Amino acid sequence: MTTSVRWQDAVLGAAGTGGLFLLWELASRSGLVSTNVFPAPTTAIIGTLQTVPLADILGHVWTSLGRIFWGFALGAVLGTVIGIASGWYRALGVLTRPLIELLRPIPPLAWIPLAIIWFGLGEPSKVFVIFLGAFFPIVTSAYRGMIGIDPALLRVGQTMGLRGPMLLIRVAVPAAMPDLATGIRIGWGLSFGVLVAAELIAADRGMGFMIMNARQLGDVDVIVFGIILIGAINLITDYAIGAVIRRRIGRWHAI
Amino acid sequence: MADPARSDVAPSKIEICGVSKRYATDDPDTPLVLDNINLAIGDNEFVTLVGRSGCGKTTLLNIIGGLVESTHGDVKVNGRTVSGPGQGKGMVFQQHALFPWLTALQNVGFGCRNKGVHKAERDQIAHQLIELVGLHGFEDKYPAELSGGMQQRVAIARALATDPEILLMDEPFGALDELTRLEMQDELLRVWSAHKKTVVFVTHSISEALVLSDRVILLAARPGRIRREFPIPFPRPRKRTDPQMIALYDDIWKSLA
Ligand SMILES: Nc1ncnc2c1ncn2[C@@H]1O[C@H](COP(=O)(O)OP(=O)(O)OP(=O)(O)O)[C@@H](O)[C@H]1O
Ligand SMILES: [Mg+2]
Repeated sequence: MTTSVRWQDAVLGAAGTGGLFLLWELASRSGLVSTNVFPAPTTAIIGTLQTVPLADILGHVWTSLGRIFWGFALGAVLGTVIGIASGWYRALGVLTRPLIELLRPIPPLAWIPLAIIWFGLGEPSKVFVIFLGAFFPIVTSAYRGMIGIDPALLRVGQTMGLRGPMLLIRVAVPAAMPDLATGIRIGWGLSFGVLVAAELIAADRGMGFMIMNARQLGDVDVIVFGIILIGAINLITDYAIGAVIRRRIGRWHAI
Repeated sequence: MADPARSDVAPSKIEICGVSKRYATDDPDTPLVLDNINLAIGDNEFVTLVGRSGCGKTTLLNIIGGLVESTHGDVKVNGRTVSGPGQGKGMVFQQHALFPWLTALQNVGFGCRNKGVHKAERDQIAHQLIELVGLHGFEDKYPAELSGGMQQRVAIARALATDPEILLMDEPFGALDELTRLEMQDELLRVWSAHKKTVVFVTHSISEALVLSDRVILLAARPGRIRREFPIPFPRPRKRTDPQMIALYDDIWKSLA
């Protein structure tokens, strides 16, 4: 894709989102929908900034980002290592794959009650469910990437004198990278969703808590603001991850 | 049988002794992919395998390279039984198999890097070989950014980079246009004679086999056997229009059909 086409796409995408916000704004201001139920975006943002101190908002964001960082990092590292090892050592794959296939379809949120019993109400229970959100997509895509490697590439590596761990590091892991990257991106999105849901259920800080707390206070502005904030942060972080991936493998692998 | 005079002088570089192959996925009733292949290849000899598609050329090359195990028989290189792939045997694969995450230059330098050659020296070798295969200016392109013929040339350069004693080449010039193909044939002959390599080459082009080889081995399919051997005694450089070459061409062509 040429830069100008990508640019055009970005402008078009932004125009679409902007248009929707504009419609929403107009619908709310013209009285088509009640401001008490669904305030205009500007009303929600300004209203929130007037009632909630900025430091508090940033504190919630910071707490959420901290949780997702640890949960995601743990899930990404373990998912990558276990996925790659399972794809490389056949015996291990035979052992782990049915287990992963069994656990994977369970929504991470279903683990929350158990997580609370295991880890209490503190940070570890939230980190644990976020970890699950990241782990499964990453472990499966790493595994898929490994078993999908063109055998010819491994043969070339062998004829060049590589074997064992060196063949794994120099040939197999780079070859599996595109699949792994896809898994990481999906895992990030999922961890993010799980994060907010986990905070809605059991937390005393974080963006999810901020929304849930506002519901109890009946402050619709803060709820709408929180939703916009979550969307924006997810968008930015996902874009950042995408950009890193593109920089690393975009030239040799079409994404 | 190999040229007796040659095997008297020096022991064979590569000895293929009673090699048979059946893939695990094959029906036990189907004929063997390779059936009792015996072939001795001398040091610095250039041998070409020809035969119809599916007759087992790639399989035999992979067995020599130690990438595929034979069902019966074994292959000796320098008198030692081949037990796996490794240094000293450069391979060019039919589907060139470049590493997509490495640039052309990095692909060529890959083998040297494994041998622990320092970056400066490695780059120098790689640059020379890129030049040799006519890809100057494309060093920093990724395989996806190269044409099929260019990719194949990178694969050839990559195989040459570690300066292996034995080159196993599976239709290396298959994707090249006629002119590049002729140039690459010349280059290969130059490298071969200058660096004393033993080459086992696979091609579908009889004229290519005639221009390059000391000996052409014609394989028959299912069961895969050596049907005939054709020593090519003419001095190089050879002309395709030479009447003797044309006669030999017809001879091979008839045996192939
Ligand atoms: N990995 C494999 N598993 C099972 N059968 C195989 C495998 N590789 C090759 N064969 C079979 O072995 C036979 C010989 O294949 P091979 O690739 O050696 O032929 P070839 O002479 O190189 O053909 P071509 O000229 O088309 O490249 C074919 O019948 C093929 O179906
Ligand atoms: Mg073949």
